[in-house]
Amino acid sequence: MNFIPLFVIVPLGAAFLMPVVSRLWKGMSDVLGNLAALFLMVWSFAALQMGHETTVFYAGGWEPVASIPIGIAMVMDGLTVFMLIIINVIGFAVTLYSVNYMNHYTDKAKYYTLFLLMMAGLNGVVLAGDLFNLFVFLEISAIASYSLVAFGIGSEELEASFKYQILGGTASTLILMGIAFFYHMTGTLNLADASTVIQQLGTHPGIIFVSILFLVGFSLKAALIPFHAWLPDAHPSAPAPISAMLSGVVIKVLGVYALIRIFFNVFGITAMPSVLTIFIVLGSVSMVAGAFLAISQSDFKRMLAYSSISQIGYVLFALGLGTPLGILGAMFHLINHAAFKSLLFLNSGAVVYRTNTRDLDQLGGISQKMPVTGITSLLGSLSISGLPPFGGFWSKLIIIMAAVESGHFALAGVAVFTSIVTLAYYMKLQKEAFYGALKASFGKLKEAPFLMSLSVILLAIVVTGMGLLLIPEFKSVILDPAVKIISGGLNYSKLVLGG
Amino acid sequence: MNPLLYPIVIPFIAGLLLYVIPRRVKGIHEAAALLVSAGTFGLTVWLFLQKPMEWTTQNSLILRLDDLSAFILLAAGLFGFLIALYSVIYMKDRNQRSMYYGSLLLTLGATCGALMSNHLILLLIFWGFLGITLYLLIQSGGDGAAPAAKKSLIIVGGSDALLLLGIVFIYSLTGTFEMDKILLSFNNGLVTWVFVLLALSAFAKAGSLPLHTWIPDMAMHTPIPATALMPAALDKLLGIYLLGRMVLNLFQMTGAMNLFLMIVGAVTIITAVMMALVQHDLRKLLAYHAVSQVGYMVLGIGTGTVIGIAGGLFHMLNNTLYKTCLFLTGGSVKYRTGSTDLDELGGLARFMPMTFLSFIFAALAISGIPPLNGFVSKWMVYQGLVELGREGDKLWVVWLLAAMFGSGLTLASFMKLTHTVFLGDSAKRAGRKIKEVGFIMWLPTVILAVLCVLFGVFAIQVPLKHFIIPAMGSDIEYIGSWSPGLATVMILIGIGIGFLIYLAGNLKGIREADSFIGGEELDSETRVTGTGFYNTIREMGMFSRIYRWAEDKWFDVYDLGNHLFSGIGGVLSKAHTGVLNLYVFWFVFGLIVLLIVLMGGSL
Repeated sequence: MNFIPLFVIVPLGAAFLMPVVSRLWKGMSDVLGNLAALFLMVWSFAALQMGHETTVFYAGGWEPVASIPIGIAMVMDGLTVFMLIIINVIGFAVTLYSVNYMNHYTDKAKYYTLFLLMMAGLNGVVLAGDLFNLFVFLEISAIASYSLVAFGIGSEELEASFKYQILGGTASTLILMGIAFFYHMTGTLNLADASTVIQQLGTHPGIIFVSILFLVGFSLKAALIPFHAWLPDAHPSAPAPISAMLSGVVIKVLGVYALIRIFFNVFGITAMPSVLTIFIVLGSVSMVAGAFLAISQSDFKRMLAYSSISQIGYVLFALGLGTPLGILGAMFHLINHAAFKSLLFLNSGAVVYRTNTRDLDQLGGISQKMPVTGITSLLGSLSISGLPPFGGFWSKLIIIMAAVESGHFALAGVAVFTSIVTLAYYMKLQKEAFYGALKASFGKLKEAPFLMSLSVILLAIVVTGMGLLLIPEFKSVILDPAVKIISGGLNYSKLVLGG
Repeated sequence: MNPLLYPIVIPFIAGLLLYVIPRRVKGIHEAAALLVSAGTFGLTVWLFLQKPMEWTTQNSLILRLDDLSAFILLAAGLFGFLIALYSVIYMKDRNQRSMYYGSLLLTLGATCGALMSNHLILLLIFWGFLGITLYLLIQSGGDGAAPAAKKSLIIVGGSDALLLLGIVFIYSLTGTFEMDKILLSFNNGLVTWVFVLLALSAFAKAGSLPLHTWIPDMAMHTPIPATALMPAALDKLLGIYLLGRMVLNLFQMTGAMNLFLMIVGAVTIITAVMMALVQHDLRKLLAYHAVSQVGYMVLGIGTGTVIGIAGGLFHMLNNTLYKTCLFLTGGSVKYRTGSTDLDELGGLARFMPMTFLSFIFAALAISGIPPLNGFVSKWMVYQGLVELGREGDKLWVVWLLAAMFGSGLTLASFMKLTHTVFLGDSAKRAGRKIKEVGFIMWLPTVILAVLCVLFGVFAIQVPLKHFIIPAMGSDIEYIGSWSPGLATVMILIGIGIGFLIYLAGNLKGIREADSFIGGEELDSETRVTGTGFYNTIREMGMFSRIYRWAEDKWFDVYDLGNHLFSGIGGVLSKAHTGVLNLYVFWFVFGLIVLLIVLMGGSL
């Protein structure tokens, strides 16, 4: 039994078992959900141990014939492992957190079912070796996300979910349309196989058209400006653990990962340099506008949501530089952002859990009563603002170095400027929510329940130590394989097909 | 482990441990902070005697202790210890002791690290980390400190981002991060940017215009020893250290760059001292002086002459001595009276003699009264300017006038301070029994005051010879003949004769009476305070408007930026109406633009 499919089978199986076992004993849903998530996290570390060779799993034993794949393939390479770690570590922190947090809501079993479906979809997307399965898994996690955003079924949640569905659906349609054209042109859906075909086709207008469809579709999933408009409603409205998942993981997997895989590994970025320019433009616009939008928010979670747009902008900007250093910066910032943004959303959940408000004007001084939440959120804020010695500092440093190295002096200045604005709004967040005078109505406030605190403490440790990923021993295991796959570009097909 | 690492690592470990020890445990924090800071001070003395030292690992020179960093390191160690000592009593009843002492030690360790770093990235890490410890120290001031903490970290941390950009530019120009290998000449537009970026981050740390505005705000809410530690002492040392390093080692200076520094310096001196004149709060007044004095250092360094730069560096050292002393005596006043509002203080000299004596020496030093240390370094800065004039600079008179005028105003504002706090009538608050602060609190202030005197009288023999001149790498030619020792003797004789005349004139005895108006004795509410006289300045036609603007924060980069960014953000937010049709329109718009851009060629 190959271990790769377990990443999808386990959460999928657990999701369907969930309604059954929760009938037997109410607490069982928590146990099952956490066991599944724990297994996935351990499994993702096991995948890291397996080495960095590209491994392919052919479903049902349909091996390729004459190097032409005929069945469904799951591919695990350095980039996939990197994404699997992000998905499943954050996933575990979030399930742990949900045990207490979701007591606020009525049906925990349904929540875990949807959550595990989302996990199955996310793991499936990064493992999919062909476009169609990528799309199917993408839709699984997207549809699970739509329902999770609406989980509170208040008017605000439903409206947000509706917008999310419409815009997400539009994007999915474009992607599906792109896949259809793609299949028409190449005659295959296997990514590696298609890549060789496209190289033979050269720059065909059809390919460019397909690339635009993918670009727009996945940019919406990644919430890049101007395709971002669903995010500021959807992310805050979801239950906090889901917000953490959406901002920390989903936009990266469905958006950034898919863009990287398709444009770097399948189309080949060297063949279409203008896409890099588009990455830079979309990235910088999102970076700057997202930061300005965040600074004028007075809603805790909405500020974090806009901040996600801005930070994803950094990632895309760095990717668009196209140099190995830029790609390293992008990947490093991706994993950093996953850690600190999930942490901050979980903090916001703790605040909402105890105070029932996320309006910054009504909060104040709660660090005195909730020290764990206060200190962990300060660590997250300092890291995302790029202050040393936290992880965010290092990824911003690398991104700015990469920008200067490739001659984008002015854009490096823009990135620095944005990081000052970022610092400004996170300091605003800290001041308004956690410091200053304690509001009289919060006199009896208590720290968040144990598992919620434990979850944020774990994430805070990750956030604080993230700079260690640059130490050669860790870098060569986690970051370098991913960077190698991306900057290797079209080598992907050779690695997969073994040609 | 290389000995250079000790003063970094030991305070760091101790500081992190102190965060973890709960505040209920009494005494541990104080004892640990005192012990570690004393040990660090000892280490810095030892390292000063051992210099120069280096620590190389993996073929790059990471830490380096040279003549410039060594004496500043020594000063940092001294201030860390004295302030920890002072804090033992001052902070004893506060809630945030564990945060305060932990941050204090981390600050000390990071300062030592920043001073010794030869690798620019390492410098950047310590530099940025100091912003965080500053934030935590300010937060230890309690609830009211939150806005000031936010503002300080935005300005200081933001300037850290500028430093980052400057360093990355340096790397792209030279291909190295090691400072000893870097010498940039202004033959490339980028170098000018590098200089400005680095200078701005030095200005923000040291508190020079235009990035000084965090200091007066934080001074109001932070525990006073923390103000004495960061903006008055360590941050000043670091900012000017960086500026000195730039001018002496990293850049081949040109006239234009020197002019830039001199403009910043002169404007800082004048505007900050004008603000200081009209303050009604002890802490705020001192904070504006902390800004104003930076002007002299920047001006001196900006002259580009050997004596000017030496004067600037010497002024940095002197300023940290008297300014820390002033803040600490201010802290003692606050500790005993519970107030720093000038209208509520008065007549403390007779109750707090040790505090008063330390204060008066430090106040005279900052005002540039010979033979104290402030005079010597200012005199050197003036000489630097004169030297500049001899080299053919046309504007030297302007800078000289600004510096001397600023010095006069400094004296004026300290006369106000001395009078309203220590002399004159006892204010209402002071009416109750006030005692001198304990030995542990006045000892640091007295040590600093004595150093102010010694550094003035024996300026040439001790501080200049052992600290400044080695750092300059070349000898100084003094233009004017100023012999501090002789002058001191003359001044003392003068004072002695004056005292005799005073005694002679008063032999018949004079009658002392309380202040009165129209025969009526003044009650405490209508008493005459020193602050009243200085309101005249505020009400002068031209100044009144400028002061109003300044109080409305029209000159504050932070507030301007805040308005601007929130404005832009507000406009962008308004565009997000929540109407789905609009959002779909954006989406389609994006799609069409991409189609045109990418397909335009092939259609």
